[in-house]
Amino acid sequence: MIPCPSDLKLEAHLLDEAGSPIAPHLSSCDRCRARLEEMRRLGDEFRREVYPVTVDAVVARPRSRGPLARWMLYLAPIPVAAAAAAVLLLVQPRGPGDDYLGVKGSGLTLAVFARATDAARAVADGESVSPSAALRFQVRPAVPCRLWLVSVDSAGTVSRLYPAAGEGGAEMAGPGPLPGGVLLDGKPGPERIYAVCAPRAIAFADLERAVRAAAGAGAAAVRAGRPLQGLPGDAAQATLLLEKRP
Amino acid sequence: MSDEREETARIYRDLGPAVYRRCLRLLGDREAARDATQEVFVKLLRDTRRLQDRETVIPWIYRVATNHCLNLRRNARRRGEEELEPALEVAPGQSEARYPDRQLAQKVLSRFDVATQAVAVGVFVDGMEHEEVAAALGISRRTVSRKLDRFLANARKYLERSTS
Repeated sequence: MIPCPSDLKLEAHLLDEAGSPIAPHLSSCDRCRARLEEMRRLGDEFRREVYPVTVDAVVARPRSRGPLARWMLYLAPIPVAAAAAAVLLLVQPRGPGDDYLGVKGSGLTLAVFARATDAARAVADGESVSPSAALRFQVRPAVPCRLWLVSVDSAGTVSRLYPAAGEGGAEMAGPGPLPGGVLLDGKPGPERIYAVCAPRAIAFADLERAVRAAAGAGAAAVRAGRPLQGLPGDAAQATLLLEKRP
Repeated sequence: MSDEREETARIYRDLGPAVYRRCLRLLGDREAARDATQEVFVKLLRDTRRLQDRETVIPWIYRVATNHCLNLRRNARRRGEEELEPALEVAPGQSEARYPDRQLAQKVLSRFDVATQAVAVGVFVDGMEHEEVAAALGISRRTVSRKLDRFLANARKYLERSTS
């Protein structure tokens, strides 16, 4: 009796049914046909439930870049650069455009897009951007949480990117664009953005202290981008390095 | 959407199901599988020519997704997150004599490096022949046999210790 094909062979069959060498076996094996049916059902599940919420991130991801560490929240490509001391929040009430970018992070999804002349350009972790680039963010938290978006530069200056005012972070009940955007300060050099979202409020002073400890000791520390320590254990965090170059 | 982005989306739509099924099988959790699928596909996109080779793309997907998900399981275990460590379902046809205790075997599995885990999963969970595992993982059949022998020897030792 011909042994039942492995899942790998069934996958190859699904990809090219016309030229499948296991077709004769499938025609006479109820169990394998049931396996195949289950695989098709999962394929439908992917197209219905997974593809729509992940395709933007997959499409946006530069092909030549490796994934960041799991704890990171990817800031998808865009000409963005974090503002250091002179961050300006620009009120732009309209929602994300067609160049919306979303990338999965640790319990959090962040979408970032920046305005260029007439379109958004994606930037990856560590990519160069204009020192005075404008950027926007969209966040999709796994659970309702309070969000902080901050940056740190090679001078050790920690800047609030979002929310611009208030204490404890901005409440995020679900996915959505962050109001406003950020204009970079025009100063060349590395800038690291940290996104932190926690179920409970985190004082900005505590976050600032954590950011400074992790990446506030010069350009090398900014580029190294260690995870933030001393935050609540249930806080999701992510980071992205930007190299501001004229 | 640009032509390149449309092409990437099309490839993702066509091959994403294979990645998702693999991740779901190894992670046993739909949300984790969804996230892993995205992460794996980003890795696969580093070589789009390979993604378009219908002859070899499925074994390549299998290898990248398997390594990625086994790493996720290992990392989850290190963090004490048990939910990402479901018992792996033994492939149909695998005799109980070769895989006597799923829970015990899973504990043994986690004690090995990811490469050895991938071999053991290929044989015991996926029910593949040694040759097929070797081809899928891009290693020699001899390496498969060696890693499997080591896995089984240590699994037996672990079994003996746990029952004595």
